[in-house]
Amino acid sequence: MRTVLIACGNCLRGDDGAAHRVLHLLGPQSGAELRSVQQLLPELAGEIAGAELVVFLDAAIDCDGLSVEAVREPEAPPALTHISRPSEIVVLSRALFGFKGLAFQCRIPVGNLSTGEGLSPSAEGFAGEAARILLDLLGHPAG
Amino acid sequence: MSRTVLIQPVTRIEGHAKISIQLDDAGQVESARFHVTEFRGFEKLCEGRPFQEMPGLMSRVCGICPVSHVLASSKAGDMLLGVEIPPAAEQQRRLMNYAQILQSHALSFFHLSSPDLLLGMDAPPGQRNIFGLLQHDADFLRRGIRLRQFGQRVIELVGGKKIHPGWSGPGGVQRRFTSAQRDEILGWIPEAAESVSLALERGKRVLDSFRPEIEFLGNFPSLFLGTVNELGGLEYYDGLIRIVDGRGNSIAENLDPKRYATFLGEASEDFSFVKFPYYQPFGYPQGHYRVGPLARLNVAAFAGTPRADCELREFKQRGAGAVCESFHYHLARLIEMLHCVERIEELMAHRDLFEETIQAHASLNRRECVGSCEAPRGTLFHHYWVDPDGLMTRANLLIATAQNNRAMNLAVDQAARRFLKPSSASGEFEEGMLNRLEAAIRCYDPCLSCSTHALGHMPVVVEVFAANGDLVRRIARPPDSQNA
Repeated sequence: MRTVLIACGNCLRGDDGAAHRVLHLLGPQSGAELRSVQQLLPELAGEIAGAELVVFLDAAIDCDGLSVEAVREPEAPPALTHISRPSEIVVLSRALFGFKGLAFQCRIPVGNLSTGEGLSPSAEGFAGEAARILLDLLGHPAG
Repeated sequence: MSRTVLIQPVTRIEGHAKISIQLDDAGQVESARFHVTEFRGFEKLCEGRPFQEMPGLMSRVCGICPVSHVLASSKAGDMLLGVEIPPAAEQQRRLMNYAQILQSHALSFFHLSSPDLLLGMDAPPGQRNIFGLLQHDADFLRRGIRLRQFGQRVIELVGGKKIHPGWSGPGGVQRRFTSAQRDEILGWIPEAAESVSLALERGKRVLDSFRPEIEFLGNFPSLFLGTVNELGGLEYYDGLIRIVDGRGNSIAENLDPKRYATFLGEASEDFSFVKFPYYQPFGYPQGHYRVGPLARLNVAAFAGTPRADCELREFKQRGAGAVCESFHYHLARLIEMLHCVERIEELMAHRDLFEETIQAHASLNRRECVGSCEAPRGTLFHHYWVDPDGLMTRANLLIATAQNNRAMNLAVDQAARRFLKPSSASGEFEEGMLNRLEAAIRCYDPCLSCSTHALGHMPVVVEVFAANGDLVRRIARPPDSQNA
């Protein structure tokens, strides 16, 4: 099964790099294609086309707990802004490139987006938890 | 009572700006201005850093055209070392520049401007984006996305990553080009060539249906500045500066870009953070000039690749000596995309590209340097000064968008005078009118330091001011419809 994990964020903005940290923790053992990006771009729609499972990972400053949920595709075509959302990439990929797989979104709670490298202890903990959940999802239960 | 209209943020451009429109007592447009409202300060923050760091640091100026800044900065570094870089390094840099121009032009044409061109200037704002294109012509959109993906993939293959690749520096490049990379790139060429050709044919048909916009979205004579090779042909990486006027007459030939400061001046205006460069012998503002795709095609005698040459000859028929309509930046962009695909294919057979030596080594041999190249939006200059230890003491960046600054202001002013008429019923301006003002800006595809967007906020606002200076209307799109 072709699986693509897409981490979005800026490692130079503290916890905004949390998704990249998850990919680092997962590593090649996940068996998935790992992609680190600073923002979601329309080109990703073509790159995920043949995947059976896609997971978008991103830091979230507006949630209390870690969440992994299906990407909800909008009923009406969304307006594109400079900040693309996973739902928009999935809509484009299904319509233009024949994507037929499942798409999930993993939101990692964070609190510190100030300039600088490294995660806060809280974000580090959530990143580890996300890595364990994703390994489980991919059929490689941790420990 | 006179008033001012403010368009903020200006959408579907790279960066943050606003348009202000001053109305007279009769409610007619008195003047319009394009304001760049962000400040970056790279020229200051590089001071004290080693010159070897500049390609990496300066690439952060922009997330869309980082390769251009890496190239100009690397060339400046070459000059500080006093070296001629190995042929393989030069060909890699040329390849990256073609890929950069291709992906950036694809972004501008397909993602940002096509919604206006295919759906119409007066289409509902909520549809004027790539999801509107998805409903209208999915194949066109798919090809546009793939074309940009191709350019980005070449950059990733050669430079290690799509955005801010740090593979080039003073003296050369860091990685050899491989036959596996060549094979992958060649695999993309047929599709890319077909997509550009289809877009070009479509673009020509569609653009010709926009007669009022061609006539009034920035149609004025100006100087045009661009780089040409020793034969006068289109050149992006290394050449000489040529300047022509609005009739195509030669104003200056064979100018050395390293000596840009002897023929270009930099004025400033109190309403913008962006400079207003000008051709010194003509003074400011008479010496304002345009750069970028339209300017390059106006100054170049030929493209140097078969299909782009055919298109360039046809393109030149649109003007009397020079094509002055800013709306034709779109067409010029398409021709340049075709040229880039042809050049990338040519380069794949260039033996120099595969040579082992990719770096020239030397210590600091100069204290001042200029690196120049053609970026997607026009001629780019990086000018550095260093101390005896190679630490930066000063930098001056002359960026393409700045060189189009006065032209963008003239284009907005012309568009406002022609298109901005309050509704007789409501007294308000219809959205399509305001969109035409933004479209005048989009012709130039300005890159207002695209790497720094405020979270969730798009870049352009329109403000309308009364004759007494009172702000009477401010138009800023809500977050959910920002890209309209």
